[in-house]
Amino acid sequence: MIIFLKKFGTTLSSRQAGKESLAAFEPTLRDVKEGEEVVADFEGVFVFTPSWGDEFLTPLLKRFGQRLILKNTENPSVQATLKLLEQIHKKKFIDASI
Amino acid sequence: MNSKLLTIKQTAEILGVTTQTMRRWDKSGRLSSIRGKNNYRYYKKDEIENYIKNNPKDFFQLAKIWNMSDLGVAPRPDFYCADSSVFKARSSRLTSELREIKKLSKIYSLIGLIVGEIGNNSFDHNLGNWPDVPGIFFAYNLEKKQIVLADRGQGILSTLKKVKPALKNHEQALKTAFTEIISGRAPESRGNGLKSVRQVVADNEISLFFQTGNAQLKIKKKDSNLNIKKSKINFHGCLAMIKF
Repeated sequence: MIIFLKKFGTTLSSRQAGKESLAAFEPTLRDVKEGEEVVADFEGVFVFTPSWGDEFLTPLLKRFGQRLILKNTENPSVQATLKLLEQIHKKKFIDASI
Repeated sequence: MNSKLLTIKQTAEILGVTTQTMRRWDKSGRLSSIRGKNNYRYYKKDEIENYIKNNPKDFFQLAKIWNMSDLGVAPRPDFYCADSSVFKARSSRLTSELREIKKLSKIYSLIGLIVGEIGNNSFDHNLGNWPDVPGIFFAYNLEKKQIVLADRGQGILSTLKKVKPALKNHEQALKTAFTEIISGRAPESRGNGLKSVRQVVADNEISLFFQTGNAQLKIKKKDSNLNIKKSKINFHGCLAMIKF
């Protein structure tokens, strides 16, 4: 499954919005099959903040672990946010862009 | 000292001028002082607020008086985000405007991150608990390369104390907010966003002034220290100025 983050907005900030986005996407996530990779694609995202990321991306990382693959993470705010989330949760994201 | 009176040092800090300038203005009648029994100069707080309202140097000064005023009234409508949906719309518009500036192509998203984290922190930590005016002051001037955010919320000390009761003053709270990763979370889901704000500022051509209560910090590129100091004035909530 590919999650196009820009479909949630191009400025992804606030905990509240991150939480709402995940809740809205939950029914789609139920379709992920066992062993299937979940790709989070950041193409087209302008601003990505730690608050939004912690509410949306962190639960995905906890749920799918190594099956969560990040793509198109070049945007500096995406890079800065991923770095902080990795520090907080002491877990590394698998980034296909590197 | 009467709480409605400000010392010359406090007034100079609010106006962003030196005490020497204050004395000159006093002599010329531009801004008159009152002499105390000790013959020191004092200024009426409401007169200073009116002076700034009538002669605003920039948004920062306007935000400052909004923050320190004893009366909680909503700021002018074009600077006021009463709830997070207004802030979301206005910060998205700011991002679009920043993206159009060629020189900022490498940092516009990081400026957006800083604005998003600071602005949303105000809403996340004060929702349902605003002491007087709900919402935030949010203004920017892209020619001056300045963004100002302020709230009249509970301030960092009061909200952080819930997860770290040992905190004693605003300076300690400010340091914790910008340096320590709080992973315990309970009893509230806490943002660690200010840590990334610090990192982003230190790595880029961006500077940040942040004050909560009577503690303020200034960070700029390559700063490893937070330069936290005690302010002569006490703010309700938080005030931030971002320059780039």
